[in-house]
Amino acid sequence: MAGINVMSQEHIEVIVSGKALKARPGLTLTHALWEAGRAGEVQTGCDGGVCGACTVSIQLKGDSKTLIDLACQRQVEDGMTVFPYPAPTIPAVAPNREISPESIRAAFPTLDRCTKCGACSMVCPMDIPVMDSVTRMRSGAFEEAAEDFTSCIHCGQCRVVCEDRVKPHNMGMWVRRSLGMAQNWERLAGSAVNSPDESWDLLLDCDEETRLARCREFRKTGRVES
Amino acid sequence: MEWARDSLKRLEDSREARRNAVHEELSQEEVDRLLQEHHPDHSGKGRSIAVGANANATAFPIELADLLESKSRLPDDYVPAADIETDVLIIGGGGAACSAALALNESGLKTLLCAKLRLGDSNTVMAEGGIQAALGPEDSAQRHFADSLVGGHGKNDPQLLKRLCEQGPEGIRWLTELGCLFDVTEEGMFRLRLGGGASVPRVLACRDYTGLEIMRTLKDATRLTTTEIMEDCPALELLDDGAGQVSGATIWNRQKNCLQSVSARAVLLATGGAGQLRFQQFGTSNHVGATGDGLVLAYRQGCHLEHGGSFQYHPSGSCYPEAMSGRLVTEAIRSVGAQVVNNEGHCFINELTYRDVLAAAIIREVREGRGIQTPAGSCGVWLDTPLIDIKHGAGTLQKQFPGIVHRFAPFGIDPSQTPILIYPTLHYQNGGVRVDEWCRTEINGLWAAGEVTGGLHGTNRLMGNSLLDIITFGRRAGESIKAQLPERKAATRSAADRFQRDLQKLSESSVQGPQLFPVEMNMNATPGQ
Ligand SMILES: Cc1cc2nc3c(=O)[nH]c(=O)nc-3n(C[C@H](O)[C@H](O)[C@H](O)COP(=O)(O)OP(=O)(O)OC[C@H]3O[C@@H](n4cnc5c(N)ncnc54)[C@H](O)[C@@H]3O)c2cc1C
Ligand code: SF4
Ligand code: SF4
Ligand code: FES
Repeated sequence: MAGINVMSQEHIEVIVSGKALKARPGLTLTHALWEAGRAGEVQTGCDGGVCGACTVSIQLKGDSKTLIDLACQRQVEDGMTVFPYPAPTIPAVAPNREISPESIRAAFPTLDRCTKCGACSMVCPMDIPVMDSVTRMRSGAFEEAAEDFTSCIHCGQCRVVCEDRVKPHNMGMWVRRSLGMAQNWERLAGSAVNSPDESWDLLLDCDEETRLARCREFRKTGRVES
Repeated sequence: MEWARDSLKRLEDSREARRNAVHEELSQEEVDRLLQEHHPDHSGKGRSIAVGANANATAFPIELADLLESKSRLPDDYVPAADIETDVLIIGGGGAACSAALALNESGLKTLLCAKLRLGDSNTVMAEGGIQAALGPEDSAQRHFADSLVGGHGKNDPQLLKRLCEQGPEGIRWLTELGCLFDVTEEGMFRLRLGGGASVPRVLACRDYTGLEIMRTLKDATRLTTTEIMEDCPALELLDDGAGQVSGATIWNRQKNCLQSVSARAVLLATGGAGQLRFQQFGTSNHVGATGDGLVLAYRQGCHLEHGGSFQYHPSGSCYPEAMSGRLVTEAIRSVGAQVVNNEGHCFINELTYRDVLAAAIIREVREGRGIQTPAGSCGVWLDTPLIDIKHGAGTLQKQFPGIVHRFAPFGIDPSQTPILIYPTLHYQNGGVRVDEWCRTEINGLWAAGEVTGGLHGTNRLMGNSLLDIITFGRRAGESIKAQLPERKAATRSAADRFQRDLQKLSESSVQGPQLFPVEMNMNATPGQ
């Protein structure tokens, strides 16, 4: 288990871009590259698994399958082979609050080219059911599709494996924004009441100490008396 | 987690009794003592600096003080020429930068945005817990103000704070119109959570991906404007006209590996925070670009730094496994019921108190031997995450906090079953560049917005107030620039050079600034090499 790995200071070997990299077990690929002075080889943005800058392709020892993952989330394993695999951004498509089967096809004419090969779902580092979601968009189940893409970090990999025919995450963004724009503000926000304006004077026109005391009182009672 | 078996047993045994126990609030004296004795801001490990607007006054953390007194990264013989001309230059690629770019859209002004990393690689995208706005039935802008001011120890600039609180609902409306989807209740209204230090529920969220939702929306919207975007282009120095007005910046175009100077009529600093400077060897929750560059640049132009020694150490940074160390576990997880527990199985503080107080209390537990030692050598206290499903039903944690579950999964840890080990992590720069209500710095031609600024949050920020900060003040900066655009001036390095001369009279620094990348990254930060 992880705890034991971390304790041992033995080094393991990973191959990054064809070059050997000695690394301490328990480190992420990103930090192993940093420690070796090779930070420039794989992009880093957040170092926290939410920006999608650090996508890499990985082959594990003795396994010919290629995986895609985030270098900042993936622990080093002995014998793994790694290549940087960044996905360039493509132009954004303006959302449309009149979301419908027609408007999504106008925005993304390639929607129906999906062959259900499943490659996009395979590569997604956030475990989003991308292919199923594309199917949902084709059938007009927009709410569900929006939900699917809640955790999409726009790493672009689902689009890259689809060779830019279908653009799953761009559509996900479009669906989310389009639905978002169509929301009814009054319904969402309800009726926020604001206390009468004079209390601003009591909170503002005084010295620092009085202000702090008045704010303490306000927090407890919802108003200030003097 | 075999190594923690005994400690986990004590935690489980005390759960029933802890669950519904009510916490005594600490008295003001107890709070003050706790902060004084255990908060890193008061560790005495800081120093004042000898030059510039804050000379011989405030103490800064050593790492930041060194950078404020650092040598320019521009080669001595570099003479800026207007390689690029724009009306507005926005420096930064996070939420404040994009909000300003959107406010400037359709103004007819040519806007250029330079980001050190890619657009959106920022602290904004990492925000988890949520954004505050006074939208609840019992709430008001004044109550929001009162909560934030008490949280900030009364040090907040009241005018800035009033703007923030008044414009909260409007900021959320703007985000909604851009297409942000916040969580709603079954009745279809915004779901509001209680944030630490707030007196009523006021935090809106999109699961624990609130910053991701806001950032990807702002980024998408910004890409649809006429804003020109240059990525991998850190600003190395601000330029000025020799008569006190900022008039551009020199950037390092890392894709071409060359320096380029930008002539601009207005410059907006939106470079965010400084968590990656990792003061006193704390871990950090921040993205790799958070190296305090904007503070260094503005300081050389003569700007004051407000509360420059005040930083937020977030109570719940993860401290096990090592690969996750410093990363954030959102405060919202405490607001729905996860308790903070020491090695003896005791809850030693109300986990929804102010962040600085809770962080200090955790540091005290560890110092006084009531922490849990990990095999990797770090030490922390438990965050009893399984309590959430126990209290609210199986599956609640996964439903409301999918991000946490996803991030711990590769390490074989399921937070709905096993508690998480936490220790404070360097999270937020409370202070920063002094600005007025329109984001104007003290120097003509230079605006600043977002985490790089100081004053608004006093010396401690409430959860959810900084996302509101960047939306509110990012937009206000854009509006203000539109209304008050200065004439174009020559772009020279005279202010920066003057600062260097003042510096040399006093000391010979070998540090170069801005730092640009975390030390841990071992990056080459010298242009042209
Ligand atoms: C993990 C985490 C969780 C958080 N959770 C919350 C939360 O739940 N609620 C909340 O309100 N706040 C939260 N915060 C705080 C909040 O996210 C930030 O304070 C806020 O987003 C800062 O926005 P910004 O635009 O000022 O800075 P950032 O979003 O950090 O953007 C700064 C940008 O400037 C760039 N930059 C830096 N230096 C240079 C340079 N020299 N040249 C060019 N570009 C440069 C950076 O790379 C980055 O793109 C959280 C922060 C973190 C790190
Ligand atoms: S979207 Fe592309 S990759 Fe995904 S299933 Fe369809 S064809 Fe395959
Ligand atoms: S849906 Fe596509 S872009 Fe989004 S995280 Fe998954 S692979 Fe990356
Ligand atoms: S660096 Fe952001 S996801 Fe890895």
